[in-house]
Amino acid sequence: MADSTRTVSIDAEQLAGRRFPYQEDISLVEGIDLMAATPGDDLNWLEDIEMLTEDGYPAVFDRYSNSFLKIYFDVPSGRENEIARKVLVKHLQDGNSYGITLKEIHCKFPQVELGPWVAESKTIGTDYKPPVLEGWEAPSGH
Amino acid sequence: MAGVGTKSGVKYDARGLVEPDAEIPHVSEVDGKSARFDAGNLTTRQINLELRDLIYVQGMEDVTVVNPGSKNSLGVGILKRVNLTFEGSPGWFACGLIDGPQVRIKGRVGWALAENMMSGTVVVDANAGSLTCAAIRGGDVLVNGDVGARTGIDQKGGTIMVMGDVGINTGFMMQRGRQIIAGNAGDGLGDSMYDGTLYVGGTVASLGVDCVEGEWTDADTEFIERKYRIYDLGTPPTFQKFVCGKVLHNYDSLEPSERKLVL
Repeated sequence: MADSTRTVSIDAEQLAGRRFPYQEDISLVEGIDLMAATPGDDLNWLEDIEMLTEDGYPAVFDRYSNSFLKIYFDVPSGRENEIARKVLVKHLQDGNSYGITLKEIHCKFPQVELGPWVAESKTIGTDYKPPVLEGWEAPSGH
Repeated sequence: MAGVGTKSGVKYDARGLVEPDAEIPHVSEVDGKSARFDAGNLTTRQINLELRDLIYVQGMEDVTVVNPGSKNSLGVGILKRVNLTFEGSPGWFACGLIDGPQVRIKGRVGWALAENMMSGTVVVDANAGSLTCAAIRGGDVLVNGDVGARTGIDQKGGTIMVMGDVGINTGFMMQRGRQIIAGNAGDGLGDSMYDGTLYVGGTVASLGVDCVEGEWTDADTEFIERKYRIYDLGTPPTFQKFVCGKVLHNYDSLEPSERKLVL
């Protein structure tokens, strides 16, 4: 994607700096088990996830980075919401959501790196150190 | 420690903002992947530190908190799949900001249960206070008793189920999601709602501004029956459906960018 691209939307590709294979290939998400990826006996939070449109493309909203993840393959008719949920869960399970990539550096208390969409994930945030801007000193009196 | 006061045996700093003791108490009885501890003599901070240690560091899959003692802000910020049980009644802001746990509260609970919840399930055996599920974004919350006022205020997703009655202004400024209310609803149901769906099995004292009766579809029947089946709630009563009349607020024409903020 060209650096000069300007948009008023928040795009998952722009945040990550790249496009992901599962945005272009439905076979990479067909095997996703949505029930296994969510707590409880139904789709739980994925019940609120549906196929939307962004910049003219089918897209799913990633609430963990406040961005849209566009879908470039042909979505089978009648399966729009299912595919949107599978693409989103694949994005999250692969740890590609921009908000999640920031957690290892910035989270302040112990928590799992990924979320409840995976059975196991490493614990991060056990040794938080505030980032220090090189050459910066606190103003006197602070 | 200078500037430290006490209230009901719990220490607070001079600002009243935080308990000074940040040590993990390590008081749990552990059996394999299950843990249990008595919170009766612990502070809110100690209880939450113990929970985080058990869930994140020790990898417990079932955790039981005995004697929560109506302390506020218990079980908050848990971002992992785990079975968490409270044997007793937590206070205000229980289980806020959670993402994944399956919580059972064997008691009642104070104001603002599961506020800002992202995913998971919360089941309360008895009543819950006002502001239950404020700003919830996802997941299921079931209250088997009554709830107070403004249930699901600013709701942005998820499903709230109340087997008893709800107070005034239920669904106030609701933006997405669903509420199943088996009992009666107080005045101002769905006041100023933007979107979402309210199902009421009992009577409605009065509708709020721009809340109107909606058309029942097969999807509504499937949804209600599925939730009743999953949570073993018996046979559902006949529900009325209420939605936004789209007169007062309309994202599409007035606030297209704001609509994205509630997704």
